[in-house]
Amino acid sequence: MLSGIDYFIVIAYLVGIMVLGLYFARFVRSADDFFLSGRTLPFWAVGMSIVATDISAMDFVGVSGQSYRFGMAAGNFDWLGSMPAMLLAAFIFVPYFWKAGLYTIPEYLGRRYNDYVRGAASLTWVIFFALDLGTLFWATAVMFEPLMGWPPWFSIIATAIVVGIYTSIGGLTADVMTDVVQMIIMFVGGAAVVVVGYFHVGGLGGLADKVSVMGDAYQNHFKLIQPADTQTPYPWTGILFGLTLVMSNAYMIGNQAIVQRCLATKSVWHAKASMLCGAFFKMFIPVLVMFPGLIALATYPGMENGDQAFPTLVKNLMPPGLRGLLFAGFMAALMSTIDSILNSTATLWTKDIYQKWLKKNASDRHYLVVGQMATVVLLIFGAITAPLSQYFEGVYVAIQTFLSFFQGPVFSILLLGMFWRRATQWGGLAGLVGGIGTSALLYGFRDSLFTIQNPFLYVSWWSFLAGVLLNVAVSLATRPHPHGRLAGLVFGLPKDAKGSCEVAAC
Amino acid sequence: MLNFDWLRGVSPAVAKGVFLTLFIVSGLLVLMIPKKSIYEGVEDPRWWHNLKLWAFGVLAIIFTIYVIF
Repeated sequence: MLSGIDYFIVIAYLVGIMVLGLYFARFVRSADDFFLSGRTLPFWAVGMSIVATDISAMDFVGVSGQSYRFGMAAGNFDWLGSMPAMLLAAFIFVPYFWKAGLYTIPEYLGRRYNDYVRGAASLTWVIFFALDLGTLFWATAVMFEPLMGWPPWFSIIATAIVVGIYTSIGGLTADVMTDVVQMIIMFVGGAAVVVVGYFHVGGLGGLADKVSVMGDAYQNHFKLIQPADTQTPYPWTGILFGLTLVMSNAYMIGNQAIVQRCLATKSVWHAKASMLCGAFFKMFIPVLVMFPGLIALATYPGMENGDQAFPTLVKNLMPPGLRGLLFAGFMAALMSTIDSILNSTATLWTKDIYQKWLKKNASDRHYLVVGQMATVVLLIFGAITAPLSQYFEGVYVAIQTFLSFFQGPVFSILLLGMFWRRATQWGGLAGLVGGIGTSALLYGFRDSLFTIQNPFLYVSWWSFLAGVLLNVAVSLATRPHPHGRLAGLVFGLPKDAKGSCEVAAC
Repeated sequence: MLNFDWLRGVSPAVAKGVFLTLFIVSGLLVLMIPKKSIYEGVEDPRWWHNLKLWAFGVLAIIFTIYVIF
């Protein structure tokens, strides 16, 4: 349980973040300010915001739980699962998106393929983000319950109210600037656990000694690369084909919550630099979220539920004061992810669905209000669906399972759209819909098709491949787009080419 | 086939080599990016605006991590 000083730190953090977020609300005067900060953000703020957005409370609880059960291989998601993809995003995709003046990634797909692809991709992301919110809220409840003694429903409602107030009013600027502070608090709080735990187990040598004497099942716990026939969810084949080649690229290039920040930077150099700045900070994340799981394994072996590793460590090792600091860091991680998801989903809904299909040519003020209302509705939906997460094995695996359904197909149409001029609108639609259908089939028959416990890495690879093959086959059978329409949308075709496409309708 | 059974004979050491090669190839590709693209959007370029240096920095960190673990 938290002591008086811990409560003081947590309350000071909550009040400070609320004030900071509301301060930036004064700069929101238009829909462009709300969704893209008027394109004024510097690279360092966006880089830190990318990390804060990506790392949630789920990573503290979920990755620690995975490293407790399966070892360092869980760290691949923040190292291999980020770096190569962030380089590709920084130097190829993000500059094209920025120069095209986009609000959303589905908007690019709409210009490159057609409005059906845009609508399908946007709707898919909206559904995913809405479900993701529920998972995040549940992660909060898992963490809060043993520490604070709060019932899950109270934790969920309390978090929703705090984040909802500054996000619905302050827009992307409030999100990004609070993310900067939240990333720093998250790093300090996370580092406190690692440092205390590190000395408790006797350093890296003591940690390795304690885990290695636990038996053969733990021999690979300090290896990032696992054999192809491992029974863990992280065989190297899945890490290479599923994570490195598909899921990480899909996440860093096709994820609205990540890329939207880069689109709000003040120049194309800042857009590229923001991704690289984020990549640098991401290198430190596994130290904060993975090592606590290993320390918990050495200190408290035999726990049945790996997701309790991090809370147990905090409860038993952290002294008063540091516990409050960590708790503030945990809340920072959670809130920075939730506010980003809320703003991005509101952008997708307002720009790709509402403005495109439901009410065209309304006033700027109207779309601003729609975006703010969407934020509030999403919050309520996320809070209501939160308890569903308890039916999946581990909260982190739950979110990866959701992601694997459509990450591969979305990346397949982004990749071919950017690098293959011959890809047509119907090819893109077939690739997206067919790829998602492939994911659903593979996951439905996973017990008879796959040999590992949760094959989400393999599902994402094969659905990506299905998306590519379907896109190529249908594109070759349908009429190609004129080159003029593709200018500024395909690598190697600059925007200033004659007859370039400037609007979504062309 | 869906489980990549045909790659089961590949040892984790060789697999590690595959990932390290990936980092090296990424570095070579970054090296090939035209200077004009690197400084695009900068009015008064300084040495620290060179994004290739940033990329090499993070590649060096991750390469070291995967060599050790």
